[in-house]
Amino acid sequence: MPNINLYSKRYIFFVLSVIIMATGIITYFVKGFVFDIQFQGGTVIEMHANKDTFTANNVQQIQSEVAELVESSIGKSAYVQKSTTYDVNNKSDFDVIKISIGSNETLSSTEIQKVEQAIIDELKLTAEDPVISEESVEPFIGKEISQNGVKAVIIAAILIILYIWWRFKIVSGLSLGVFGVVGLLHDIGVMITVYLIFGIPVNDSFIAAMLTIFGYSMNDTIVIYDRIRENTRLMKKIPFPELVNTSIIQTMNRSINTTVTVLMAVITIFVFGKMNAIESITEFSFPLIIGLISGTYSTIFITTPLWVMWKESQKKSKVKPAKA
Amino acid sequence: MRGKNAVRFFSIIAIIGILAWIGFNGSILGFDIPGFSDFRPGIDISGGVDAKLYAVTEDGSLPSAEDLEAAKITIGKRLDAKNVFDRVLTIDTKKGYVLVQIPHKSGQEFDPQKSIEEIGATALLTFQEVDESKKDESGSYLPTGKNVIVGGDVEEAKAEISQQDGSCYVALKLKKEGAAKFSEATERLIGKPIAIFMDDKLISAPVVQSHITGGEATISIGGTNGSKEQKAEATELAGVIKSGSLPFKLEAKQVQNISPTLGSNALTVSVEALVFALVLICLYMIFYYRLPGLIASIALVLHTILELLALSWLGITVTLPGIAGVILTVGMGVDANVIIFERIKEEIRSGKTLGAAIDVGFKRAFTAVLDGNVTTLIAGAVLWNFGTGAIQSFALTLIIGVILSFVTAVTATRIMLKSISGLEVAKHVWLYGITMRGGKSNA
Repeated sequence: MPNINLYSKRYIFFVLSVIIMATGIITYFVKGFVFDIQFQGGTVIEMHANKDTFTANNVQQIQSEVAELVESSIGKSAYVQKSTTYDVNNKSDFDVIKISIGSNETLSSTEIQKVEQAIIDELKLTAEDPVISEESVEPFIGKEISQNGVKAVIIAAILIILYIWWRFKIVSGLSLGVFGVVGLLHDIGVMITVYLIFGIPVNDSFIAAMLTIFGYSMNDTIVIYDRIRENTRLMKKIPFPELVNTSIIQTMNRSINTTVTVLMAVITIFVFGKMNAIESITEFSFPLIIGLISGTYSTIFITTPLWVMWKESQKKSKVKPAKA
Repeated sequence: MRGKNAVRFFSIIAIIGILAWIGFNGSILGFDIPGFSDFRPGIDISGGVDAKLYAVTEDGSLPSAEDLEAAKITIGKRLDAKNVFDRVLTIDTKKGYVLVQIPHKSGQEFDPQKSIEEIGATALLTFQEVDESKKDESGSYLPTGKNVIVGGDVEEAKAEISQQDGSCYVALKLKKEGAAKFSEATERLIGKPIAIFMDDKLISAPVVQSHITGGEATISIGGTNGSKEQKAEATELAGVIKSGSLPFKLEAKQVQNISPTLGSNALTVSVEALVFALVLICLYMIFYYRLPGLIASIALVLHTILELLALSWLGITVTLPGIAGVILTVGMGVDANVIIFERIKEEIRSGKTLGAAIDVGFKRAFTAVLDGNVTTLIAGAVLWNFGTGAIQSFALTLIIGVILSFVTAVTATRIMLKSISGLEVAKHVWLYGITMRGGKSNA
C-alpha cells in the first residue's frame, strides 16, 4: 500500500460529505419523506390480477378505474398501482393490483371485503383466491415506531461510546468513542439522504437498517483505533497525524475486504429481492448497501481525520497557556 | 505430530458433515433432531394473520399486566373454540396490546381477518337493567347502558346439573365488588329480567327470582330438564360469560394478512440468495487469501450450518428480515478472518516463521475482532429490545450470527490453520497470499 498522506487531503472529503448532507436537507424540504403505511396509517390490499387484465395501453385506465371503484364502494379515496411479481415456485409472472387507502382509521373487515368483492366483480378476477395480502395500521403506530427508533439510536450511541471509552482508555477512549459515533451519525445522514432522493418508504426496516449500520460500521473504525492503540505504544516519536495516517494505510486492506464480503452478502439479497419483486427485501437491503459503503468511507476519511484535528487542537490549547 | 494435526483437521470436517446431515435430514442414526426446515416460520413466510389487539379502557389508561394476561387467556380459549390451535399469543404491557399470530394452514376453513375482528369485538360483557319499551322487532331487549355488573366482576361461571331435577343451569360466582352491586340490583329488580349483553348483542335475559346477597347466583335454562340442548346451552352461556369477563374491549389496530403463496415465494428466493452469497464470499476469500481463505470458507460453511440449526433448535420465529440477517452475518462471519489473515501476512513479511506468524496473528488481531463484534452485539441487543415482530427476528439472527462467528472464524479457523500449516506441502508462503520477492522467504 503506497504511503499517501490522506490527512492532508481531508478537506476534499469533508466537502464531499457536506454536499451529500446538503442534498439530503434540500430534498427533505422539496419533497420530504415517503411514509410507508406503517407510519402513515391506513390499509393496503394486494390482489392477484388475471393474465389478460392489463395490456400495454390500459394500465393507467385500470388504475383509475379501480380507484373510482373503491371510492364508490366505501367512500374513501385510494391510490392504485400495478406491479409484477415473479412466482418462483410456478416459474411464472403475474400482475398485482396494489390498492393503498391511507386514512386515519383502518378499514373494517366488512369494508375490506366490500372493496375486494367490487374489484373481483369488476375485473372478473378468477384466480382461486385473488387476495394476496391485506395490511392495516393505525396512524399512531408510526409515531410509536419513529419515537422508538430515535430512542434506540440514542441508547445504542451511549452504550457504544461507553464501551469504546473503556476499551481504549490508553488513547483517550472517550473522544474516540464520541468521534466514532459522529461517524455513525454521518452514515445515518447518508442513508437518510438516499431514502429521500429515491423516495424509499420509511418503515420499521428503516430503523433496523440504521441500527445495523450503527453497530457494524463501528467495526472498521475499531480496526483503525486498534492499530492506533498499538502504534501509540510502538512509535512514540512520530507526530500524531502521521501515526494515524500510517495506521489507516496499514489497515486499509482490512477495511476494504471486510466491507467487500458483507457487501457481497447484502448485494446478493438486494439483487434476488429485486429480480423477484419482493419489496420488503429490497427496501431493507438497499439502504444497508449505502450504509456499509458510507461506513467504510467515513471511518477512513471523516471520523479519524476529525479526531486527529480535535487531538491536535487539544494539544495546542494545552501548550499555549504554558507559553504565556 | 503430523498424525495429530490430521486428526484435528478431519474431526472439524467430520463435525461439519454430521451437522449438515442432521440439518438436511432432521434425524441421525434413528434419532429425530430438528433440521434446517424445522424452523418456526413468521407470518411473512408461512402466510397468515398478524394482529395487534389494543386494549380500549374506559379512561384511556394502560391496562394492568394481569388484565392483559387474562385477555390473552380469553383469546386463547376463543381460538380453541374455532379450532385454531397453531397460534402465537404475546402481550406487550408497555403498549397495552395482545399480539395474535395465526399462520396459514392449507385446507383450513377459516377467515382469519374476520376471526380477529370477532375476537376483539366481543370482549365486553355486561349485565344490564332492561327497559320494556326498548325492544327490537323480534322482541329482544336492546341495551340500556344501565350496567348492573360487567364481565370483570365475574369470578367464575360454570355449567352445572341440579341434583334434584337433573336440570342444567349456569352457576355464577361474583367478585366482592360485583356481589355488592348485584345484591343492590336484585333487591330492586325482583320479577324483572336482567339482560346479559356481549357488547350490543343480547345473550340471555334471566328473570330475577329473589334478592341475591352472597354473590352466588344461578341462571336456569329453559327447555326439557336434562336434555342435550339444555346442557349445551348452559355450557355455551357459561363459556361466553367466562370468556367475556374482561374489563376492556380489544380493538385490532394493526392487522396484516398474507397469502401463503407470497410467503413461500419469498422463502425460496431467500434460500437461493443465502446459497449464492455463501458461494460468492467463499470464492472471494479463496482468491484473495488462498489456503487460509479456503479454511475460512470451510469455517463459514460451519457458521451457516450452525446458525440455521440454532434457529430451529432455539425455536426462534424466522421472518424475511430474519433470513436477511442470516445472510448478512454470513458476510460478517469472515470479517474476523480478514483481520486475522491480514495480520498474519504482516507478521510473515516482518520476518517471523509461519508457525509464529499464525500464533501472533491470531493473538494480536483478537482485540480488534472482539471490540468490533461487541459493538455489533450492542446494536443488535438495542434493536431486539426496541423492535417488534419481524425486526426482533432480524436482531436475533444478527446476535446469534455474531456470537457464532467467534466459534467458527476464530476458534475453528485457528485449529484448522494450525494443523494444516504443520504439513510440509502447506509451508509455501505463496499459499498465504504473500508475493515472493527473491526466493523462498523465511517460512
